[in-house]
Amino acid sequence: MITLDRQHSWFEQQLAAGRAQSLPQAPQWLQLAREDAIEAATQLPLHNRQHEAWRYTSIEGLLRASFTGDEQAHQQNQATIDDLLPPESDSHRVVLVNGQFNARLSTLADLPPGVRLESLRTALAADPDLLASWFGSIANHSESIFSALNTALINDGLFIHIDQDIELQQPIEVVYLNSGLNLSEDKQLMMHPRNLVVLQPGAKATLVERFVGAAPSRYFHNNLTEISLQQNAALKHYRIQDESRNAWHLSSISIEQQSHSDYRGVTLAFGGAWARTEYHLDFNNEHASCALHGLYLVGDKQLTDFHLTVKHRAADCRSREQFKGILYGGGRAVFDGHILVDKDAQRSDAQLSNHNLMLTRDAEVDTKPTLEIYADDVKCSHGTTIGQLDPQQLFYMRSRGIDETTARSMLCQGFAQEIIDQIDLQPLREQATERLVASLERVQPEIGR
Amino acid sequence: MNQMKPNTMLSINNLTVEVEGKTILHGLDLEIGKGEVHAIMGPNGSGKSTLSHTLSGRDGYQVTAGEALLDGEDLLSLETEERAHRGVFLAMQYPVELPGVNNMTFMRESLNAVRRARGEEELDAVSFIKLVRAKAAEVKLDPKLLKRDVNSGFSGGEKKRNEILQMALLEPRLAILDETDSGLDIDALRIVADGINALRSPDRSIILITHYQRLLDYIEPDFVHVLSEGRIVRSGDKQLALKLEEQGYGWITEEEEAA
Ligand SMILES: Nc1ncnc2c1ncn2[C@@H]1O[C@H](COP(=O)(O)OP(=O)(O)OP(=O)(O)O)[C@@H](O)[C@H]1O
Ligand SMILES: [Mg+2]
Repeated sequence: MITLDRQHSWFEQQLAAGRAQSLPQAPQWLQLAREDAIEAATQLPLHNRQHEAWRYTSIEGLLRASFTGDEQAHQQNQATIDDLLPPESDSHRVVLVNGQFNARLSTLADLPPGVRLESLRTALAADPDLLASWFGSIANHSESIFSALNTALINDGLFIHIDQDIELQQPIEVVYLNSGLNLSEDKQLMMHPRNLVVLQPGAKATLVERFVGAAPSRYFHNNLTEISLQQNAALKHYRIQDESRNAWHLSSISIEQQSHSDYRGVTLAFGGAWARTEYHLDFNNEHASCALHGLYLVGDKQLTDFHLTVKHRAADCRSREQFKGILYGGGRAVFDGHILVDKDAQRSDAQLSNHNLMLTRDAEVDTKPTLEIYADDVKCSHGTTIGQLDPQQLFYMRSRGIDETTARSMLCQGFAQEIIDQIDLQPLREQATERLVASLERVQPEIGR
Repeated sequence: MNQMKPNTMLSINNLTVEVEGKTILHGLDLEIGKGEVHAIMGPNGSGKSTLSHTLSGRDGYQVTAGEALLDGEDLLSLETEERAHRGVFLAMQYPVELPGVNNMTFMRESLNAVRRARGEEELDAVSFIKLVRAKAAEVKLDPKLLKRDVNSGFSGGEKKRNEILQMALLEPRLAILDETDSGLDIDALRIVADGINALRSPDRSIILITHYQRLLDYIEPDFVHVLSEGRIVRSGDKQLALKLEEQGYGWITEEEEAA
């Protein structure tokens, strides 16, 4: 059982532990934002079962751990880095090692004019006023103690700004390399990357985020990303969360969309012991659209949580969210999808679905799609299913000579492929498929018949 | 029991099968020789599909007595996939849809699994595509269907052709075709029949489950059996099928009762 006191003292402890690392010489507006966040955090209610957003996701384990932001701990040995770094790709690559920008591993040359892609630190030093106008305007700093902690401990992250009508051809790839090193049990690493992405009117880009962790290290990765899509802007946003199986991972993504902007996200979750991803998406102007496709593979000793809040605040917007989960062993998943349609958001078109494939009896999913509609002329629907592999399908495949393990794995892949296929970068799609197949093949014999 | 004739491929003796606690096959006997085509006819619900599922090892079909020997070896103790590896193929009455599983990938996986089991080399992607295209052309299956998900959204006839295509690829020793003719248009029936005839060989046996003489016009059976209430109640040559077509099953039941 956690108490409000426990929550506060944990927050204070992490604040103290991380403070030494937080950005020195922050501009005053940032200082203020930090203080606000700290202040707000003390006012937040307890994140427990009584709190709707935390109803199925216990933070107890996290509150029992304590973390450090120790500078030395951020040093990373080269061998681990080489192991973890995804294969070279045709992209502008930014690498954050344990939350800090690493210039040597990043390839920021050859950026076309009108495109800014740099570390948050660099951007703050070079153009604090530009940042000031966006920073914190999209996300709620104090949605939870974790977003407050991220804000209070801002250290580094990423700034992307694309000028009007610029179409960035090559994708931007952000790699978060995380490792807890060999810290002692009671001193695990935490990192709080903070990102700001602004697409000016008509700008187009593809953003890939990959989270990789050195197994079996324990750490707490707590990132917060703000995205603004101005009029007619279009962003494709792919995320592959493949943290260490012992890690805590929290991603909070806030997106605001102006008229005729388009957001297409694909989000895949494989790793982490406790992994939560929140999307807060607001349609602030008419005729905007978003499509978000998610996949989670959750096994023993894993909790994977997706929280979506889509707010139709203006008329004629269209949202699609499709999430699929494969659960095995004692895996636990939470899906909480909420669509809100304001009174004036007429002709909103929203669809939300969540389908779960349970490979074992012990796996568990809490799925809670909700629609909250105040307009009268809308087209909204949601649907969820929880099912098992179909014995008829397995029999059919086996009768053609395919062994049971392969048959199961093929059916699971068939279930998941639809989501992965939404990624329109071929190499990434292939890597994601390989990643999925590798785990499926590993888990199938375990679960047997 | 094991007095098998040298020419025997499949020998079924006193096969008794329960499904969900209910006995469906009541001591069925059937002997299939190498190279032979046997037609099995019989009223709805008499146990024809139960027989074919039992021979393929589907879960839930409890064998409570009797045996089935393939080449003298106990077939019923093998896993479903092992039976396929030994050359048993079942074209299903209701082929199953596999959404998300690509037809081509599925067939390659299947063929290579069977080839591995036979000690043959696996086919690489290129040779497989060549092979499957050629076989698809033989059974006049629209090549577009190869790119779709297995049976997903296929028409009834397309599903049946897809089954025949798989049979042609796997070249089974014992093919069981469960009502492959139902749902086929007249041209398709001809094509499917040609496909089956092409597979006829001295070392391959075929069990044709059907309700209609029409299929037997194209594929001439060596034997015709009537399955009723879980037993083979009558066996004969192709003349028996003609008689059934004219007179139905009533006369057999009457003769049974009289006897
Ligand atoms: N899974 C099952 N559960 C309960 N009863 C079953 C099951 N499978 C088959 N049966 C019953 O077994 C009997 C035989 O069915 P089967 O499908 O073998 O008949 P069939 O001869 O193939 O009929 P048809 O000509 O209609 O295809 C039927 O009464 C059927 O309802
Ligand atoms: Mg039947």
